[in-house]
Amino acid sequence: MDKLVELKNISKVYTNKNVLRNISLTINKKQILAILGGNGTGKSTLLRMIAGIERPSSGKVNYPNKNIKIGYVPERFPKNIRFTPSEYLLYMGRMSGNSKGYLIQKIDDLLHRFQLDGLKNQRIMELSKGSIQKVGLIQAILQNPNLLILDEPLAGLDSEAQEALVKIIGELKQQGSTILLTYHESNIFESIVENTFYLDHGNISEIESIKKETIKLLVVRNVEKSLVKGWEEILQVEEKDKQLSLYVPVKESDVVLSRVLQLKGSIEAVSTVKLDDDMERMI
Amino acid sequence: MKAVIKYSLHDYLRSHKYFPPISTFIILIFVYYSYTPNPIIDSYAVTSLILYIISAWVCISVLSLDPPVQRQLMILHIGGENRYYLSKLITVLLISIILTAYAFVYPILFTMFNGSVTLTIGLVAIVNHVSLSILGICIASFFSKIITESAVNSYGGLALTIIISIAALGIYDALPSYLKGIVWIIPPATITQTPLINWDGDNVLDLSFFPFIWVIIYALLLLYLFLKLARRFQK
Repeated sequence: MDKLVELKNISKVYTNKNVLRNISLTINKKQILAILGGNGTGKSTLLRMIAGIERPSSGKVNYPNKNIKIGYVPERFPKNIRFTPSEYLLYMGRMSGNSKGYLIQKIDDLLHRFQLDGLKNQRIMELSKGSIQKVGLIQAILQNPNLLILDEPLAGLDSEAQEALVKIIGELKQQGSTILLTYHESNIFESIVENTFYLDHGNISEIESIKKETIKLLVVRNVEKSLVKGWEEILQVEEKDKQLSLYVPVKESDVVLSRVLQLKGSIEAVSTVKLDDDMERMI
Repeated sequence: MKAVIKYSLHDYLRSHKYFPPISTFIILIFVYYSYTPNPIIDSYAVTSLILYIISAWVCISVLSLDPPVQRQLMILHIGGENRYYLSKLITVLLISIILTAYAFVYPILFTMFNGSVTLTIGLVAIVNHVSLSILGICIASFFSKIITESAVNSYGGLALTIIISIAALGIYDALPSYLKGIVWIIPPATITQTPLINWDGDNVLDLSFFPFIWVIIYALLLLYLFLKLARRFQK
């Protein structure tokens, strides 16, 4: 996989406080990654360092592609901007070198998707917290970034905007972008996040992605268990009354179903299950 | 860089922060020319010095416009700290050039001089105004919010530096001979004054160029240091 950003032994020390310790992390192209952790664990600091707007106390952040376009949504977007969303976004887009024609169309489209059309002629400083956060999101996705970094992007967003955001993240990934985000108390991203990292006391660890996934239970007939056992997509197989229960990650369920059909097997039921602790142990 | 400059000029207008320094400049020029006639070269030398102070003031107010997070976002969009800071300083320079035009044209338009302004004198006057404003901008950048967080240190430090730089000639005279070299450290705001006052305005070659070049070299050295320091303070 192509590397997008490489962090080598990053540490960050603020006065008397070691926020991040010796963190190494490689971010590849076309991924959706989440960094989770409690308050004050250094998530935002790490994101700012990956974005290149904060320097580590020691260690290195490398971008193999020097012309990488990074979009960054700060946790707190400045609220005292004296421009209207349209003016502001046009200026920000021009700074990244986009043409005016492209921007006008793109800004209109994004303002519409985030339901800001009606507010586009009001100054940002006069908007509500949620609307300001939306402007913060749009400035980051305006230029189709190679790497989009979102620091708690859901704070203050209504449910329509949250859904629009999840959809846009999916679209950006399709276009080859990598998305790196942090969030709290929400599972709206769980279906799209592929790798999750956990920050604790300045150390980072990867959470097995399988645990975060929702699982499909496929109940099938007329298929040999021995055949199915070789399929790597399948997490667990159980046999009961000549029926096979296959536990499959959501993403892979279509592939498995079509294979079952190809083998002239029949499908009895498909349902979504949440992993419980017993299941986790089994897997 | 053009987008950052346009953004900053537009934002500066909307912020109304331009009002104190620019109205002060307009009033000072107005008051300075309240008695006529005036000697051309000497008057332009004095208005350049006024512009030096006003440019520094404008610089501090322009550099305080962007909240820190907005600054980070703009640096990301424009692709580097140096481009961001240079754009900001160019914004201030553009404002100073407009003020230069006012300081240059106003006395001619209202016939405040005792003679007519020749092309040579005009050019020298403009060069002097612009180079002293560049010096003022580069000095003020160090006392801006980017490097000096507290407003007291910011305005106090800048005022002190400017006063010392204007008093440089007096300081030079007061110092014992073995310490006179120290004057070279002080911003050369008044270094072009003596050659200008002694110049008759006929031939530009009669004028000593070194002071003008030194002002620019000094400003460029400050600019280099500012860009280095700003990177460190940003991160």
